[in-house]
Amino acid sequence: MNIATFIIKNTWRNKRRAALTSLSVAVSLFLLTTLLTALRELTVPPEDVGASLRIAVRNKISLANTLPAKQRGNIQKIPGVALVSPLTFFGGRFKEDDGIGFAQFGLDADLLIGIFGEANLPPEQFDAFKKDRRACLVGRDSATRHGMKIGDRITVKGGIYPCDLDLILAGIYYGTIDDRNLYFHHTFLDEAMGNWGQVGTWWVKVKSAEQVPEVIRAINATFANTSAEVLAETERSFQLGFISMLGNVTAFIGVLSSVVVFTLALVTTSTMSLTIRERFRELAILKALGFKNGEIAAFILAESFMLSAAGALLGVGGGWLLYSKMSVSQATAGIFPFFEVTPQIAGAGCFVAVILSLISAVPPIISACQLTVVDGLKTLD
Amino acid sequence: MLPPLKYHLQTVRVRWRSTLATLASIALVVMVYLLVQSLAAGLDAIATQTGDMRNLMVLRRGSIAESSSLLTIDQIRTAKHLQGIAKDKSGAPLASVDTLVVVNHQRRDGKSMANVLFRGISQAGIELRQQVQLVEGRWFAPGRREAVASTKLRDRMAGMEIGNEIKIGADKLKIVGLMDGQGSAFDSELWLDSEEAKGLFNRDFYSSVLLRLEDGADQKSLISRLDTDKRLQVRGILETDYYREQTKTAGPIRFLGNFLAAVMSVGAVVASTNSMYAFMGKRTREIGTLRVLGFRRRTILAGLLFEGVCIGFCGGLIGCVLALPVHGLSTGTMAFESFTEVVFHFQITLTLVARAMAFAVFAGLTGSLLPALRATRMPVVDALKSA
Amino acid sequence: MVSIRDLSKVFYRGGQPVQALDNISLDIPSGEFLVLMGPSGSGKSTLMHLIAGMERATQGTCEVHGVDVAKLDESSLADWRSRNVGFVFQTFNLIPVLTALENVEMPLLLTKLSPARRREMAEAALDLVGLSDRAAHLPKQLSGGQEQRVAIARAIVTDPLLIVADEPTGNLDAHSAQEVLELLQALSHEPGKTIIMVTHDPKAAAYGSRVLHLEKGSLVAC
Repeated sequence: MNIATFIIKNTWRNKRRAALTSLSVAVSLFLLTTLLTALRELTVPPEDVGASLRIAVRNKISLANTLPAKQRGNIQKIPGVALVSPLTFFGGRFKEDDGIGFAQFGLDADLLIGIFGEANLPPEQFDAFKKDRRACLVGRDSATRHGMKIGDRITVKGGIYPCDLDLILAGIYYGTIDDRNLYFHHTFLDEAMGNWGQVGTWWVKVKSAEQVPEVIRAINATFANTSAEVLAETERSFQLGFISMLGNVTAFIGVLSSVVVFTLALVTTSTMSLTIRERFRELAILKALGFKNGEIAAFILAESFMLSAAGALLGVGGGWLLYSKMSVSQATAGIFPFFEVTPQIAGAGCFVAVILSLISAVPPIISACQLTVVDGLKTLD
Repeated sequence: MLPPLKYHLQTVRVRWRSTLATLASIALVVMVYLLVQSLAAGLDAIATQTGDMRNLMVLRRGSIAESSSLLTIDQIRTAKHLQGIAKDKSGAPLASVDTLVVVNHQRRDGKSMANVLFRGISQAGIELRQQVQLVEGRWFAPGRREAVASTKLRDRMAGMEIGNEIKIGADKLKIVGLMDGQGSAFDSELWLDSEEAKGLFNRDFYSSVLLRLEDGADQKSLISRLDTDKRLQVRGILETDYYREQTKTAGPIRFLGNFLAAVMSVGAVVASTNSMYAFMGKRTREIGTLRVLGFRRRTILAGLLFEGVCIGFCGGLIGCVLALPVHGLSTGTMAFESFTEVVFHFQITLTLVARAMAFAVFAGLTGSLLPALRATRMPVVDALKSA
Repeated sequence: MVSIRDLSKVFYRGGQPVQALDNISLDIPSGEFLVLMGPSGSGKSTLMHLIAGMERATQGTCEVHGVDVAKLDESSLADWRSRNVGFVFQTFNLIPVLTALENVEMPLLLTKLSPARRREMAEAALDLVGLSDRAAHLPKQLSGGQEQRVAIARAIVTDPLLIVADEPTGNLDAHSAQEVLELLQALSHEPGKTIIMVTHDPKAAAYGSRVLHLEKGSLVAC
């Protein structure tokens, strides 16, 4: 036998108590993990390779207002601009009752890989997409979910635009931050709308990162005081704009997380202290045998740490396992497409567990140290 | 024979330290449940408090929301002159042709932006929406680049006080009045003249038409005539029904609330079971004594469960009191239908409180059930012997 | 080996001073089996606690092997106890989750001995009290007499010079009590060992080599 076995045996002696205590830690950490994951998904736009060279240009009034197609030439002329493509959110429905489903975008087919280079797509599929004006590309996630095959006909009913799109699936891409979207030829939308001469947004690829601020300035200046003023911004701040629109909800979840952590600390501390308080008689025996306060404190700490660790394993590990196996995207109608428990989040959960074990060890350590050998034995005889 | 109630109440009071964790965890669950559900209730309230039963809204067929609907002047003219539409004094159909524009506007904090719904309406639009009252200034005059904002919008957005001008491209829109939508969706809107909105924002189309139905008009057949007309390509819906369907935003919030409450309640029950076990362990001898004195097992059990119920009830009350201050606070979030910010209030309804309290009592009961059963099942002699 | 001079101990109980020991002087030579007797509250347990370094005296000196136990601080006292004193309690006080052997080994965890050596010593001590065949049993699987013998094995495993026993037979039947007392008596014959036992029971006291009576904190002659 050694100290470790003694501690382990001691921790699990009252199995029900130990299990319940660990379980209450686990529940709280599971909740914390879930909230942090949700918060991250709501507040942090996923990092994306190539995003730093991309500029999104939208109507200054709001994203819901279109831009004239004739702006393209003006943007193309700005020094530093490599490529310009329209990108129009079609906002249609693929199937009824499909929640949010997936988004459809019209763009310049030839420039897809040039601008959104991170998309992985077999070259022959990209060629097929470019050749057929009715062709479309779908992300692998959506293709899998709806059982789409290359060559399938895909009909999207217009939600914003008064027309339906009858498309043919030419390729399936993967490896972007969101492998769910559908891309089709902007020209096809133009035709369906009777050559209306409008686009949703412009997406600009800049030649080098240093030129990005200058290009943004130039684009904004070009259309200032015209009938269609624009707002050009980096892809990241474009996405952050969406998050800011969610308003107080994100702050609210943040507050909830802190409340949960606080109460978790309170509840766990009191249960763990309770568990250890039951063992004062033994602590007195150990003291009589010659164990010092430091060693007794170490026993208590080790015990509370083990209870916390078991809770963390169950709560954080369980959360990670659950969310990696379960399709949260489906359960929340696409509001949380990823719901990934990142190492940072798992780390935060474990960190909280460690802090908890420290906090809950303090009160029993204090009372154990104040306990004299004789009193300890007396009170329990 | 029942052990006196006072004994149990006294016990709950004396053991406050070990009760604290249970109390806190139940209070927390109740509080979080109420907070989140009051958000959803606030959004729901907008959906049920907006619209007039006598109004019919006409949208482009297939469009999900008013803000993404596009109507031509021909479609509008046909819809306006259908049988069953009420007429004003001059004999023209009582209708408002609306142009909705989503405008990215700065919040009051000066840092972030939010989408605001600018609603262009016809003069009749004010009369058709009786729940909207002018509270300050005057209504806008068509052709003079004027607008009326809701008071709640003014509280959240920058530069919406009376006399302020909002810059739109090269033009300016002057705020001349403030309105109150009395908890309806209109509390998140800014109103101006419809034709002016079309001009200011370079719109070729209108968004929707709101029609007043004649008293006793056959709503159903009117709607089905609109919906089935192949040439017209529009759909009709009662204004009240339209807003009731706008529940996409409240859905995820309600889901979040239920999810949090479910997971946390497991935690609360575990915590309360745990502290009850510890406490019952200390009381085994006491319970044995009660039984020797002649109290029946069932009555002791009932008494112990009563203690659990008391704790649950107190925890629930504390949770309600903690959540109560948010009631009536106004907040905003992006509505998923229109991508614009809706302003709404946290609403702690009686139903929510009742549900939360029922839950709290249930959690207290569940938490004490197993320990109480164990304590009362022990043979009297063993119970007396135990330390 | 134990030399006590003018030892006093005052407790405060509910703010009232209680004179537990009043100016006691006493010498206990090596190899003695000393029995302390007296009514409840006579101070016999307090005297034993002071000698064993479980409590600090209010006044006076208490030298054990030349070390004044009364002067050591909490931490050195703990060290000193682990090396010099073995304890036997009325309620055995074995650790319920550990086996008999592990309980005996417990005090050795405070030493720097290798695990193998620790085990060997624990087995030897358990063998000495005649319980080798019960090594893997948990305390609740043992009889009261057996539990107390395990406790004695735990007390002697560090080979202390002083063994203190507080009513070791108080919770035992006559037969088990006899076994335990014989064991203690045999231990006192080992070279250099001193045993101090507190008891109420005159029959148990008969096993000692000297019996002292306490009353109201003072030694009384019989």
